[in-house]
Amino acid sequence: MKFLEDMILKFGSVDRRFIFLLIGLAVFIPLLRPIDLPIRTTPTTEKVYNAIDAIPANSKVLMSFDYGPSTKPEIHPMTLGVMRQLLRKDHQIYITCLWPDGLYMALDALEEINKEFELVEYEDYVLLGFRPGNEAIVKGLASDLRKVYTVDSKGTMLADIPMMDGVNNLKDFQFIFTGSAGYPGTFEWVQYGGDPTGVPLSSGTTSIQVNEVMPYVQSGQVRGILAGMPGAAEYEKLIGTPGIAIKGMAAQSFAHLVIVFFIVLGNLAYFITERRERKY
Amino acid sequence: MAFSTILGAWIAAFLTLGILSYLYRDNPFYKIAEHVFVGVSAAYWAATFYWTQIYPNLFGRLFPKDGPLAFIAEVDFNHEFNVLYFFPLLLGVMMLLSIFKQFNWMARWGIAYTVGIAAGLKTYGYLSSNVLSQISASAVDIFSGSLPFFNMSGDSVFNNIVILVGTISALMYFYFSREQTGSYGKFTRLGIYFLMISFGASFGFAVMGRISLLIGRFNDLILFSSPDYNYGTFWMMLFVVVILGFWSFQNPEKKEG
Repeated sequence: MKFLEDMILKFGSVDRRFIFLLIGLAVFIPLLRPIDLPIRTTPTTEKVYNAIDAIPANSKVLMSFDYGPSTKPEIHPMTLGVMRQLLRKDHQIYITCLWPDGLYMALDALEEINKEFELVEYEDYVLLGFRPGNEAIVKGLASDLRKVYTVDSKGTMLADIPMMDGVNNLKDFQFIFTGSAGYPGTFEWVQYGGDPTGVPLSSGTTSIQVNEVMPYVQSGQVRGILAGMPGAAEYEKLIGTPGIAIKGMAAQSFAHLVIVFFIVLGNLAYFITERRERKY
Repeated sequence: MAFSTILGAWIAAFLTLGILSYLYRDNPFYKIAEHVFVGVSAAYWAATFYWTQIYPNLFGRLFPKDGPLAFIAEVDFNHEFNVLYFFPLLLGVMMLLSIFKQFNWMARWGIAYTVGIAAGLKTYGYLSSNVLSQISASAVDIFSGSLPFFNMSGDSVFNNIVILVGTISALMYFYFSREQTGSYGKFTRLGIYFLMISFGASFGFAVMGRISLLIGRFNDLILFSSPDYNYGTFWMMLFVVVILGFWSFQNPEKKEG
């Protein structure tokens, strides 16, 4: 027993760089040699899927790209998945960005989606682009979209885009989806977009935001949530198009096992040390 | 593949490895990556803000085509001349004047205006969506006849009781006008447990998020290690490891204490 305790204490005081290395390997190896792990969909992800599935065909849907390259691994698979589901029912997509680099995420997503759907600009989608102003932009869109956007991301006047006919504020959309990595994002869309206008809203968020957004899901202010990379993987499963999120789940799971192992080990080492110090 | 794409991939691989090298210890590669990030971000934001907001929305309304000031400059975004836009221009200039000591009082006007607007916007949003809607959502019919007693993920009588007890006990913990002793103290202690479970879930989600970002970086490094990118990751890793090894040899880590 004493030998085991000594071993635990030895592991408990291991150099932090050894732990970094183990986590790195736990992530790296499954990415090199992918392992299929079963993915079980959760009710919050199913809510998003069902809410989007229930939109009448040929509707106008606003998608907001509120993230940048730093959170691309988590949010990008979600926005790609949502775009695929929308385009399969011939919805028109209107893209806004509350983050400046969201524009490049949207361009990247459109390029990716274009390989499957042969998109026609101003018929299937319009990329309105980025406007600085955070919640003021969402509030502006709710009251008068054309005051916020005079031109789209390419500088084309909105008046010259047929797809923009009859689109004057958020109430002219049948659904809003935001891929959100923080501020401004889901909270601002709920407070100044979804709640005041009553337009159904769903969100895909980074893992770190899930706990804060969940009360909105419970209250029905947000129709489900795609929670981080696992949420994206579940969504890819629901739409039947496996992507980078599903590929990353094995790495995610193994890294979690290593972290849990070291948390347990650290706690055991703490209690053993405390007991020994009390004894002597 | 275009040379610029390959060059971009090599730079991305170098910067990623530079940032990750901090896990070993603070070093010049990390400093380079950190400073490049800060500088590029600041420049990118400044340029984006100017060309997407100030130029079309401010100058577009002060110097529109056929406007009274068109003889100074023409910024045509289909806007009409609006004299009110001199007000934000003035406040913006006043904020910039804070770099001069004798004029830094002027910045307060712009800041006061911004704070006032933000406070007004936030109050409305929070009150409506966070306070009223959340109170309404928490006021559930606990023993609704149609609900099962227990359900892991959906609505149930048990979950409703947890919401009721959790909400009230956590709120009572922050009520400081009464000493938290006896049965009242035990109830508020229950509130702390609810809060701790919430913090634990937040920590778990935070870890999950960080691992997802690591997966993203590793995916890119694996992609850039392919022959299409001339094995960019391998060359950059060799470069970083060799130089870092030499640097560590020259600058040994000081032992604490």
